[in-house]
Amino acid sequence: MQTGDQQALEELYDRYEKLVYSFAYRMVKHGAIAEEIVQEVFMKIWTKKGLYKRDKGKLSSWILTVTRNTSIDALRKKKETTYTLEERDALESDQVATEDIVEWKEEGEKLRSAVKTLNNEQQEIITLFYFNGLSQREIAEQCNIPLGTVKGRIRLALKHLKQSLNREKRGSNDETRSV
Amino acid sequence: MRQEACNLLIDYFNHQLSEKDKALFEEHLKTCESCQEELNELEELTQELPFMSESVTPPAQMKGQVLENVFSSKQEEEEEQKKTTVAPIQQDRFNKRNWLTPLLAAGLLLSVLGNGLLMMNQTDKDTTQEEEISLDKTQLSTQLTPSEGLESQANATMVEQQDGVSLVIQANNLSQLEGEETYQVWVLEDGEPYRAGTFVPNEDGFGAVSYKMDFPEEHNWDTIAITIEPDATSETPRGDIILSAAL
Repeated sequence: MQTGDQQALEELYDRYEKLVYSFAYRMVKHGAIAEEIVQEVFMKIWTKKGLYKRDKGKLSSWILTVTRNTSIDALRKKKETTYTLEERDALESDQVATEDIVEWKEEGEKLRSAVKTLNNEQQEIITLFYFNGLSQREIAEQCNIPLGTVKGRIRLALKHLKQSLNREKRGSNDETRSV
Repeated sequence: MRQEACNLLIDYFNHQLSEKDKALFEEHLKTCESCQEELNELEELTQELPFMSESVTPPAQMKGQVLENVFSSKQEEEEEQKKTTVAPIQQDRFNKRNWLTPLLAAGLLLSVLGNGLLMMNQTDKDTTQEEEISLDKTQLSTQLTPSEGLESQANATMVEQQDGVSLVIQANNLSQLEGEETYQVWVLEDGEPYRAGTFVPNEDGFGAVSYKMDFPEEHNWDTIAITIEPDATSETPRGDIILSAAL
């Protein structure tokens, strides 16, 4: 039983290692901390298997939510310790995307095109909110907007992105059909 | 009030609330339909965003290390569980940092509030030595408010024990001290401060102190405050107030 479980986890690891690591790295911008996050995520998958419920959505979404939550905790920790935001490893993103997760390959490009349709302020607020995991007050300060308008701006930017993404998806479907 | 709770949504989503505010918001969330809708919307709208991350190749040795640690943690956990069902498990270096603070807090509270009971659990039941059970009573428990711009948190509890009253302070998110600096607890009566415990936090920013309140004469404490002092000898506060509460 145990060996079977270990094998299953290893397969899951092989499948999601790069995505989890890349997402964690995007959030914390620090290779060693991203590695610790990967370990924490798989530790959670391993020890709390029951937490994932099939009816709550895709496994990949659940793993990515766990990754984001773990990354935010690490970012808060990082703020409290001696790391500075300037401290980055000499990691560079892969020149050629070699993702073997189809979803990533498909979504990634469309998302990046969709983001380009947002204005700079909208791109910035999504990064600060989602990838940097900042507090409402910190977002207000960095964007120089009143605290009370932060939530509305985030929702507007995300909705705009979603609409643009849907257009991208429709567009590529049309292309496929016309070929 | 309701409107104020709705404004916590972003910080709730981003894990930026204190435990107390998180609990308050979750209570609010149960009955606030607009917050429920907005939270679902945020989850839905952000679901695809991780795929925006540029692909980065992990270090080659990462897989071996991670899986080894993960699998060994499970074995350790099982072995530990066989031995005892009381002690929680430290799984690895990273986990330890995350879970250490609440564990320490819980441990400390247990050791002070229930010292008699804990002793009974840990000592051999066959012991012939008679233990006198101390029934401690909690007189007050209050959360201290951090000064502006600080994110430190602290709780103060006064415990009436057989041989007097103890003040127990537990604090976290404390900034690290320099040189001989210490955190100093004060209780105040009509603006006059009395020393009530000195402590330094650990590297995780968690600090705690238990202080026997054996002051001569009766006092009606009206305030409790924590300051950072240049050293442990301050007879009156010399540093800034970090946390405080009216009693």
